[in-house]
Amino acid sequence: MGPLIPNGIIGEGWDFVIAILIGIAFGFILEASGFSSSRNLAGVFYGYNFVVLRVFFTALIVAMVGLMYFDYFGWLDLSKIFILPTYLGPMIVGGIIMGFGFIIGGYCPGTSFTGIAIGKLDALFFTVGLYLGIMGFSLAFPLFEGFYNSGSMGNITLTELTGIPAPYFAMAFTVVALAAFWGTMFIEKRVRKNMKQYKF
Amino acid sequence: MNRNYIFLTILMLVLAGGTLFLSMNDEPDQIDPKVLLEEMIQPTRYVSTDQVAKMLIQGDPSLMLIDVRSEDDYSYYTLPGAVNIPLDSLLVNGNLSYLGMPGTKVVFVSNDDIKADQMWVLTKRLGYNSTYVLKGGINCWMQTIIEPQRPSDDAPAVDFETYTFRKGAQMYFTGAGSGESEATKVDVEVRRREKSNVAAGGC
Repeated sequence: MGPLIPNGIIGEGWDFVIAILIGIAFGFILEASGFSSSRNLAGVFYGYNFVVLRVFFTALIVAMVGLMYFDYFGWLDLSKIFILPTYLGPMIVGGIIMGFGFIIGGYCPGTSFTGIAIGKLDALFFTVGLYLGIMGFSLAFPLFEGFYNSGSMGNITLTELTGIPAPYFAMAFTVVALAAFWGTMFIEKRVRKNMKQYKF
Repeated sequence: MNRNYIFLTILMLVLAGGTLFLSMNDEPDQIDPKVLLEEMIQPTRYVSTDQVAKMLIQGDPSLMLIDVRSEDDYSYYTLPGAVNIPLDSLLVNGNLSYLGMPGTKVVFVSNDDIKADQMWVLTKRLGYNSTYVLKGGINCWMQTIIEPQRPSDDAPAVDFETYTFRKGAQMYFTGAGSGESEATKVDVEVRRREKSNVAAGGC
């Protein structure tokens, strides 16, 4: 049956409508999970709040396992799904930059908008910086265009790369995620014990 | 410890473990090459024109004739009730849904049995059972059913039985050239009985 738009079950004009609906749901979940607070987000780095890790890991394993069952039941053809192309080197560098920005600024791009939505000043400044950064990147793009496009591995998945069937990865990720949930719970408890005050 | 967390952890583990047992194989089922070869050298896939004629006359609902020739040939002549699936369009427009129905015998028909044989191999490789090939195809159908040859006088009685059946089948399928039997020549006299009590007017 799915994916719905490539299979013509939903017309192509609907993709923006669906994008808006999913965007609203995403923003709602971010805000409801407390992601509009930069203290919450940066807490992962300092070890007093792992809600980011829990929310995103939960989303990841539920979606991952769910997709596999959908594929098995014939509701979704996984071979037709768009897979983001992998650029190994640039992605590692980009990840490091993003991680620094995350700790320093206390937001990632999506959560900064939820921060603005509830009127946080730091989120507002973060977003202004975000746009300045985008502009700076665009202007300086010719300088690192070569690196930006280097190391392309195409639309590859771990299964194609290693030959190990997808369910093994799913199982491994789920075990790691669940272990992380329980492990971080203990870290949180120990770190919070030494904190004088903890406010979102 | 929150009880819900423990429950959700176990649920997630079970679900993820369940994926290990899902078959993620999108390849169509294929018959084992050894089995395919064994079946290919067996003549059991052939059905004779006589058998098909008999099933058609009896109106056997389990018979499914599939004409594998081109559409032009199909519209020019085909066997009664045959469906046209040309050899090159087996996989289009849901044509596969004609195959693999439980309790149905699919018989492939072509001019001789070469194309029908090819179709048979294709469907076998896709894992369909109970598919057959009309031995000799439509050429043989013409020679045996539509224009049966009278066996020589010293032929065994079985040949005459077959001939009689074919003659009957010929009548059934063509409705022509059958010759009038003696029975039709008998004049039927209709004798009207005099009405014994004629209504004689009035009450």
